[in-house]
Amino acid sequence: MLEREEKRLYGLMYILLAGFFLAGLLVQSPASVSAGLVKIQIHPARLLNDFTLVGGEGAALVNAAIVAALGLALTRISKVRLSGPTVSAVFTIFGFGLFGKTIFNVIPIVIGVVISARIAGKSFREYILMALFGTTLGPLITTLGFETGLPFLPAMAVAVAGGIAAGILLPSVAMIMLRMHQGFSLYNIGLTGGFIALFGAAILTASGAAPGSSLVWNSAPSGLLVYLVPVLSAVLIIAGLLGGAKKTVKDFLNILSLPGRLPSDFMSSTSIQGSLINMGVIGFLTWGYVILVGGDVNGPVLGGIFTAIGFAAFGKHPKNSWPVVVGVIAACLLFGKDLSAPGPLLAALFCLTLAPIAGEFGWIAGIVAGFLHLTMVERTGAWHLGVNLYNNGFAGGLTATLMVAVIEWYRSSREVIPK
Amino acid sequence: MKRKRTDFILHLISEVAHFVLDADPSRMVISLHQEEDGLHLAIFDDRPRKPEELESIRKSLEHQERPELAGYYGSMAGYDSLGSARLNLVGWQIKAATVSDTGSGTQIDLWLGGERFDPEQFTLGNKNT
Repeated sequence: MLEREEKRLYGLMYILLAGFFLAGLLVQSPASVSAGLVKIQIHPARLLNDFTLVGGEGAALVNAAIVAALGLALTRISKVRLSGPTVSAVFTIFGFGLFGKTIFNVIPIVIGVVISARIAGKSFREYILMALFGTTLGPLITTLGFETGLPFLPAMAVAVAGGIAAGILLPSVAMIMLRMHQGFSLYNIGLTGGFIALFGAAILTASGAAPGSSLVWNSAPSGLLVYLVPVLSAVLIIAGLLGGAKKTVKDFLNILSLPGRLPSDFMSSTSIQGSLINMGVIGFLTWGYVILVGGDVNGPVLGGIFTAIGFAAFGKHPKNSWPVVVGVIAACLLFGKDLSAPGPLLAALFCLTLAPIAGEFGWIAGIVAGFLHLTMVERTGAWHLGVNLYNNGFAGGLTATLMVAVIEWYRSSREVIPK
Repeated sequence: MKRKRTDFILHLISEVAHFVLDADPSRMVISLHQEEDGLHLAIFDDRPRKPEELESIRKSLEHQERPELAGYYGSMAGYDSLGSARLNLVGWQIKAATVSDTGSGTQIDLWLGGERFDPEQFTLGNKNT
């Protein structure tokens, strides 16, 4: 039986996803959306391909709403609680449905994780988060299916088999990666996916089928995309305040005192309403940053903002996030990078994976983490040929691992027991 | 399978011991009683805690049906070396927990086992003994 609050949360998620779906149908005709959807399924999904340009903004929104709805349905069917982790997963899937995740390329990964759970003698419920976030490797399937030059049927077989194999590997690697950074990088599957994708990219390169880099970037997004986030953020804040303004604001302030290290389910530890306020505030702040630096509010940027909003229920809040963003900005200014260029802009949004570093070790550590993150993320995409969508999660995980290693070494190498 | 069980117990002990040691006690005792279908882990220290502290420990260890967290993030239990101990990582993986004031310190009892497991069968922690 679902608790009343969880039922309401499901209702809110249904309304949001239906709203995005209908918004997509409003800006493009159904026929055009259908054609755009087909185009999105077969178009390279590697970083960085903005589906709002590939199939049109309407088709991209419909694609994102469908893949996110699949994630939500999987949560409901598995009878897993809709709370911070699952809400963040659904928001992240929606965001990446605008630039990489498709109906076609997410399913084999989930099947792979189901098989992995069976091999380990676990229930799928125990692995569901890895399945949902594991769709980061969706582009691997699209690449194998449509970019290797194989005839259609063999290409499909290789794509599905590759996706299932990646899904089978995900849980074992994810748990080891988690221990490496000890929960200080929120997008752990980004590190996991990047690690697995290194091997995938190596195999593709060895077989001579490695695709070249691509950049499809919508530099003229419509008003719908530009104003989607403030509307959503306002809805989230209003939904939060419906639970009683005084208590909700108090819960939000309580969230600001948490370090945010994985796994910090704000919805469970504090309240759903306080978390919704935090999500709305993070939405306004990240959107405001993009507008302030003159960035394009297109598919990838919305992906970054939606991921930030989702994880505002599962680890990040303004207080542990700002130092990391300041670190990214400092690195950009030092190295003469344009803050509105695709790389730095996405790094400033996705660097929030490192928010727990600032939350646990203070703002100086957060700034250092953000600085290192920007330098790393500009390199890591090429390593895996862009088939790991959470490239910032990969770079963030590596950065967190380095920082954890140094801090742990420093603390443990000092004499603690007098001789 | 035995190795898996040993690893699991070691990590639970490590996380709870981490929590107890964070409070800087001068004495800590760990007691383990195993049965085929379950086990009882008891950790004692000599650090008296306020009722609200005990309540906070109880809340962290309170058994919650969160398989999605236990199966993934629960694997971090006992591995952390930085930051404070996190009893909720343990709470997702146990069947029951009791936290009590012994007068001279705190006792944390953890009960683990399958559906058939009955903590009352244990002599340790049984009120009749």
